[in-house]
Amino acid sequence: MSGAWGAPAPERAAMKELPLIKEVHMDGLAVLKIIKHCTEALPGMVAGSLLGLDQSATLEVTHSFPLPSAKKEADTGGEGGVGLARPADELSNLSGQDYQMEMMKMLREVNVDNNCVGWYQSMYLGSFCTQTLVDNQYTYQENLSDNAVVVLYDPVQTARGQLTLKAYRLSKEFMRAYRERKSDHIKPSEILDELPIRIRNPGLVNALVYDLQGRGGAGSAECDFERLDLSTNPYLEKNLEFLCGWVDDLANEQWKFQAYTRTLLKQRHDAARWADRRKKANDERRAAGDEPLPDDEAHDRRPDAPNRMESLLISTQISAYCSQINRFTGSSFEKLFLAGSLQREAT
Amino acid sequence: MSFSGADGALILNDPATQLSRTGDAPAPTLTGYASTNDIVVKVHPVVLFSVLDHYLRRPEGQVRVIGTLLGKVNANVVEVTNSFAVPHQEKNDEVAVGKDFNKQMLALSGLVNGQERIVGWYATTFDGAQVVDNSSLIHEFFTTECESPVHIVVDTSLASDTIGCRAYISSPLEIAGEALANVFHQVQVQLESSEAERICIDRMVKGQAGGVLTPDGIASVDSEAVSLESSMTRLLAMLEAASAFVDKVVAGEVPGDAQVGRKIADTLAVVPRMRPEAFAKMFDGNLQDLLMVSYLSSLTRTQLAIAEKLAI
Repeated sequence: MSGAWGAPAPERAAMKELPLIKEVHMDGLAVLKIIKHCTEALPGMVAGSLLGLDQSATLEVTHSFPLPSAKKEADTGGEGGVGLARPADELSNLSGQDYQMEMMKMLREVNVDNNCVGWYQSMYLGSFCTQTLVDNQYTYQENLSDNAVVVLYDPVQTARGQLTLKAYRLSKEFMRAYRERKSDHIKPSEILDELPIRIRNPGLVNALVYDLQGRGGAGSAECDFERLDLSTNPYLEKNLEFLCGWVDDLANEQWKFQAYTRTLLKQRHDAARWADRRKKANDERRAAGDEPLPDDEAHDRRPDAPNRMESLLISTQISAYCSQINRFTGSSFEKLFLAGSLQREAT
Repeated sequence: MSFSGADGALILNDPATQLSRTGDAPAPTLTGYASTNDIVVKVHPVVLFSVLDHYLRRPEGQVRVIGTLLGKVNANVVEVTNSFAVPHQEKNDEVAVGKDFNKQMLALSGLVNGQERIVGWYATTFDGAQVVDNSSLIHEFFTTECESPVHIVVDTSLASDTIGCRAYISSPLEIAGEALANVFHQVQVQLESSEAERICIDRMVKGQAGGVLTPDGIASVDSEAVSLESSMTRLLAMLEAASAFVDKVVAGEVPGDAQVGRKIADTLAVVPRMRPEAFAKMFDGNLQDLLMVSYLSSLTRTQLAIAEKLAI
């Protein structure tokens, strides 16, 4: 896979070309910490850092820690400084970056992998494709390594019995286009690479999990049967609501594009006429022996091309919703028929 | 005896000479409970995972690790929801605890979740022993941080069949009004996990190949279809077991148990009995809703795919 890379762009020649990872292995501890942080912060959305190591084809995430949310003073819920009152500390004024540095220094003292490999964010019912996410991920991938990933956890969907944890990375075509600010056309489905996540535990922790399973046998049964819940309407309604909102946004973007094409056409028309006139003037000048004027002066009144990014992101998000809905309706059919068969047997 | 540590380490004194306690006024306390039987400690799995992880990463030559427990105290229930590791050193009778580290980490954690406060400390077993002399010294340090801290010991010696987790509360042993030593009483520990944590652990167990835990096994985060299938298989297995039992009782092979019989009858009664037409109507209605939504989403996807091809 490293052979597929072309020549690196000049400013990145200093960085060694890393083989791209294909899988993300997360430690159970990191996953549990992410779950705890995101669940506690509901209904707000939060983010945090991932620590670990990347080696050959897999990225191992061994630890994670939460980052304080930006608007701390406005919070009255779980993240407000109600319990431990240390307002006078200089720490409360730490920016996200400094907090991260502090935390990593602390963790290094206890021998935790002191290597930031990405970040995580909670998402609500599968909505994640925003400009902020792309910007953040781009910064991580640019400054840290090509293998920086963003892990998305959905607490709402997990409550239905299905652990929803996804890892994404910006594809290299998208990175290239973003870096060079070109408006190359990229397919919406190709801006993000999804990487499969696997959960692994060191041996001792596996023993604990075995213990927990044996002891809390009833616990796992509950997970099983929560999945068989038949109430489909609220979930579908929410999803469709989001879908409608995003489709409206997409329609807006398309309208903007149309306006842009119209102005562009008009501009081209004007430019053609101007070029004609210039050519005629040059011919006259050549006939008179003068030096010809440049005939390809750039027009300085070019309309701003609307940002392709928005519509790309919206399309990606819409297709994510659609796949989500498809998966959900698929399993709902199964559950419905299961309930149906129970009824038929009972009667 | 007094011990000196490097800068930033705590100087711990013999418990006999340390009689005063700095109380934390607003925090609810456990000291009001005369009998330690009342106190229950609820531990979340994330804490255990984090303790074991710390143990695995301990520096060379260190036999056990310690750290701080965070959580909240509610009447006689101590809920431990978070923890962090604290570096420390033990040599014979000398103990040095990273006090500054503790404070710094506490402040950082407080920025993220202001509700959590120190409720105690954890340690792993020391050469197979649960509580050693040095533990009481460390415990004294933690009494300055919170009222009546809980001491949790995780058994990592693998001597027994389980990775046990025990909790202790310490109280001074007084003779003629003079506190001479501390006694650690064991208190009840319960494992408490939120729904999401349970689902995650369930995934860790089931996701491994073949559904059997192996030391190096890697669990995959499965798609919904697969987990649904496993749920249904489970339900089917349970129904079959119940049905087989009933058959055996009817055939006279197994003596019937009235309790079990009643429970089975109750369970069956939960299935709502409706008139077939009413049920069919509901069923069809739901089916049509799902079909319509599925159609709409496929339509949207087709639209997007076409838009992609048209390069706009």
